[in-house]
Amino acid sequence: MVRLAMPLFFIITSIVYLILTFDLTKSRTGDPNAPLYFPAIIGIFLLIMGIIYFFQEWKKRSEAVEEFKGLIQGRTPVLIISSLVLIFIYTFLFERIGFLFSTMIFLGGLLFVVNGIQKWLQNILISVIFSFVTWYSFSELLNVSLP
Amino acid sequence: MGVDIQNFIEGLMTALHPMNILWVLIGGFLGTVVGMLPGLGPATAVAVLIPITFGMDPTSALVLMAAIYYGAMYGGSRSSILINTPGDGSAIAATFDGYPMTRNGQAGQALTISAIASLIGGIFAIIGFILLAKPLAAFALKFGPAEYFLLFLFTLSAIVSLSRGKMVKGFIAMAIGLMLSTVGIDLQTGVHRFTFDIPQLSEGIDFLVVIIGVYAVGEVLYNYLNLDRLKNKNKLGKKWITKDQWKRSKWPIIRNGPIGFLIGVLPGAGGSIASMLSYTTERQISKEPERFGKGAIEGVAAPESSNNAASVGSFIPLLTMGVPGSGTTAVILGAVIMLGLRPGPLLFEESPEMVWTLVNSMFIGNIILVIINILLISVLVKILNTPPRVLYPLILVLAFIGTYTLSYSVIDFYILVIFGIIGLLMKLLDFPIAPLILALIVGSDMEQNFRKSVVAHDHIMNVLLASPVTITLSILTILSISYPFIMSWVQNRKSKQADAA
Repeated sequence: MVRLAMPLFFIITSIVYLILTFDLTKSRTGDPNAPLYFPAIIGIFLLIMGIIYFFQEWKKRSEAVEEFKGLIQGRTPVLIISSLVLIFIYTFLFERIGFLFSTMIFLGGLLFVVNGIQKWLQNILISVIFSFVTWYSFSELLNVSLP
Repeated sequence: MGVDIQNFIEGLMTALHPMNILWVLIGGFLGTVVGMLPGLGPATAVAVLIPITFGMDPTSALVLMAAIYYGAMYGGSRSSILINTPGDGSAIAATFDGYPMTRNGQAGQALTISAIASLIGGIFAIIGFILLAKPLAAFALKFGPAEYFLLFLFTLSAIVSLSRGKMVKGFIAMAIGLMLSTVGIDLQTGVHRFTFDIPQLSEGIDFLVVIIGVYAVGEVLYNYLNLDRLKNKNKLGKKWITKDQWKRSKWPIIRNGPIGFLIGVLPGAGGSIASMLSYTTERQISKEPERFGKGAIEGVAAPESSNNAASVGSFIPLLTMGVPGSGTTAVILGAVIMLGLRPGPLLFEESPEMVWTLVNSMFIGNIILVIINILLISVLVKILNTPPRVLYPLILVLAFIGTYTLSYSVIDFYILVIFGIIGLLMKLLDFPIAPLILALIVGSDMEQNFRKSVVAHDHIMNVLLASPVTITLSILTILSISYPFIMSWVQNRKSKQADAA
């Protein structure tokens, strides 16, 4: 039954989108409904496709869901979750402590997780050199201002 | 004849400008490196490297992006041949005989023939470009809103129907992309649509953030799944090909360059279809089809010639009509719009020097890439040996830096992560990504043209029948959607006949 979750998600998305579409403010110039024709067509189209997808999956409903198996194998879950956590830390630090140091921490953290603790020297060197080189090339060579 | 000699020579001069040659060199090299990474293809390469183009003049930016694109095409074949892991669809065919050649100890020769084939295919395509682009642009000048609307519709339906066996998923991805494109202030009436009173949404969802999220963050997260399985311990063997090998490859290369080019010009098709078609055709017409799949050099040469030609060909709809034909060209279109350029027929009238600079730089770039790829094979192999465990984190960091430079706001980081996760889920659930990206980028234009054409022609049916071009495009759209059904019907019939016999 898990199989049916995705098609249901799309069906619900299309219905919510259609409701929002018909709820749009009317235009004061020209055809009052002009802004909603195109979204309405897309919404109906997604609804139809969602229903077809539902029946496609319905036929396979007894088959096990294999698609997400890779996510929980080996160290994949650790990698993905730690990357996401590091991304949030990076987002938090980026404008507070500046590009250079936050990037060193972010990249260093990622390398320690992905590349392993054994290669600590390589990880530290890469994160310091890479952060400095990108900072230099963006802010000095390409004139892109970074915090 | 569409060639404008004076503009051509001016373009050649600009392309030969040391700065532009340097960009071609940098772009080609960086593209090759990213393209070589297992699981990452040209779309990711361009997406991650977009920020480099900021602050550049548009011509150099276009030259650089094109160099990254075909650099990544060259690089993609490297990982196909050496470790049997294609970076994207267009490099799949290179694994069929490229990897067996590697296992036979002929990796060096496989890489060399792939580089030579790509160069020759590319040159065919550049000649094709020179002949075809301007007439096509002149033709597209007559296009009105109805023609453009149907052209977008056809491109989208073609790209969906070519994602084999997953049409419904493709259409869903397309619909989501179009939905995302409707977020923001409506350009014609000023009505806020789906903005939920969030000020950042009133200007719409920045498609470059979505592109980087899906193609860079999503792809890296997806590649975590195979991170520890990738090993590359293959000997290169001899680098130069033998006379016999050249004899075998010569005609397949020459035949498949033009084929790849023409497929590349078609919206929606592109490298994957071109290289597959070339491979199967060569196998069918070969006198020794049994050699294919076991390390036949012509099985590497044919698809490589064709997919590089297709990547050059795909610039034609992009530049002449502003319609991207593939995921990668959609990404390039997104970046080019950012730079304030509007690709389309007028580009040839207003800035011909830019177009011809690009064409000439593609020519120079292809030659440079062959030199990089043949002379520096051992250096490139060393880079490929750099564990992906180091390179994936770097790509992730580049994705964030790139996103920041788009709007100087960390709020986009959240959007980036959301689309990274969406990209990961799409990969896991086997949803094609190109229709989403393409729809998001052309969605707004498509809607504007749709509304203008309905106003002009009173009724949607009249839009479809407005001119010979719209009628042709309507028929092509219907054909492209029904094509997979017709094909499976034909195959069913064939297998039934075979069973009966």
